[in-house]
Amino acid sequence: MTSLARTAHPFTTGTVALAFTALAIVVPAPAGTIVLYAIICLVAILTGAGRGVILGLVVVAPLWFLLFLMHGVLGDSPRVPAPWGGTLSHAGVALAAVQGSRLAAIVTASLAFASVFDPNRFMQAAIAHRWRFDLAYVVVATLDAAEQLTVHARRLREAQRTRGLRVRGSLAVRIRAVPALILPLILASLTDADDRTLALESRGMTIKGPRTAFDPPPDTRLDRAIRWGALLSVVAAMVWRVAR
Amino acid sequence: MSPRLLALIPVAVAINLVIGRIVAELALPVYLDTLGTMLVSVLAGLSGGLLIGTVSQVLAALLGGYVWIAFTPIQWLIAVLAAVAAMRGGFASSRRTAVWGVMCGVVCGLTSAFISYAVYRGVSVSGVTAVATLLRSLGLSLPAAVTVASLATDVLDKTIAFVFVGMLLRSLPRRILGRFPLAARSVGR
Repeated sequence: MTSLARTAHPFTTGTVALAFTALAIVVPAPAGTIVLYAIICLVAILTGAGRGVILGLVVVAPLWFLLFLMHGVLGDSPRVPAPWGGTLSHAGVALAAVQGSRLAAIVTASLAFASVFDPNRFMQAAIAHRWRFDLAYVVVATLDAAEQLTVHARRLREAQRTRGLRVRGSLAVRIRAVPALILPLILASLTDADDRTLALESRGMTIKGPRTAFDPPPDTRLDRAIRWGALLSVVAAMVWRVAR
Repeated sequence: MSPRLLALIPVAVAINLVIGRIVAELALPVYLDTLGTMLVSVLAGLSGGLLIGTVSQVLAALLGGYVWIAFTPIQWLIAVLAAVAAMRGGFASSRRTAVWGVMCGVVCGLTSAFISYAVYRGVSVSGVTAVATLLRSLGLSLPAAVTVASLATDVLDKTIAFVFVGMLLRSLPRRILGRFPLAARSVGR
């Protein structure tokens, strides 16, 4: 079954993710940001973007640990007794909770969006909405190029290893491996850019004017209502915060 | 936007994203995730470098959490310094390139420390934060620990990155170098 997050218009998922990010900055922390983090996780799971919640945990767990260590354990006085013995910085623990919950909300919202982001649907939607074609092309072509370059890098690494290149060992050994892995990759990429230039020129990239989208994703009333709702919730949160 | 720049953008941004990953796999204490920005600043000029830096940071933020978007000014600084170095023939020899790399590292390290302290209270990218935590446990104040950690990692990272870009530019085939006058000037041809 196709999830709601994947079938929604690409602008809708993007707007919701941006609205959650803005709310994470506006709502009071840590109470507000903890509740917001829970809401983001719930929305992501219910709409089929649950992978973003797991990816978010992978990103923020080390940051939570470092925040606790840096501010809670090594923070300034006044200090309070820790449950396991020793002491903790009272202000440091509070600061770690504020930063940790805010980062968790922002990272999870963005990664949930990234986990369902389809570059080709986005490009079709951008063309249908009369966005500048070159901007839409940059997003899609970059994601494609990153994937191709990753495959190329893996092949190059195996080829260099068969020629005796060592990629494990002391720091000096690993540093010596870098030019052999990176320089041919960049040279090949620049040659590829040369070919792309020719392809873009021969396909009328320099011609101005609107393009026609082959298969634009449907932009339903529900999509538009969600986008307006997301925008209004951010405005409402800002007004409430200023008025408090 | 010219077709040449439009073709360079995806390649350069992909270089930033993928080379950062390769270096991370080698477990080196550097990032080298700004090579594409430096390269395009030298090949296509400052405006190209600024564009690549912004697109790279936005995409890296999209794929890794929006929080790192605050470090976008670092990409802009790198673009400016690489373009200035290119105009002054800064990539003509390894020694000159290394000097420009150290200068870039100091400027970026100080800016990065400021952003890291002001926005993230010293806890940002895990590697730098681990160094800062170690320094903090040795008795340094939080601002001092963040500054020393950022400076040390950035000077090393940007020096190595500049040296690599210099090596690459000097080894570029004349056919490609001939299409980029600033790049030819940067290596003294």
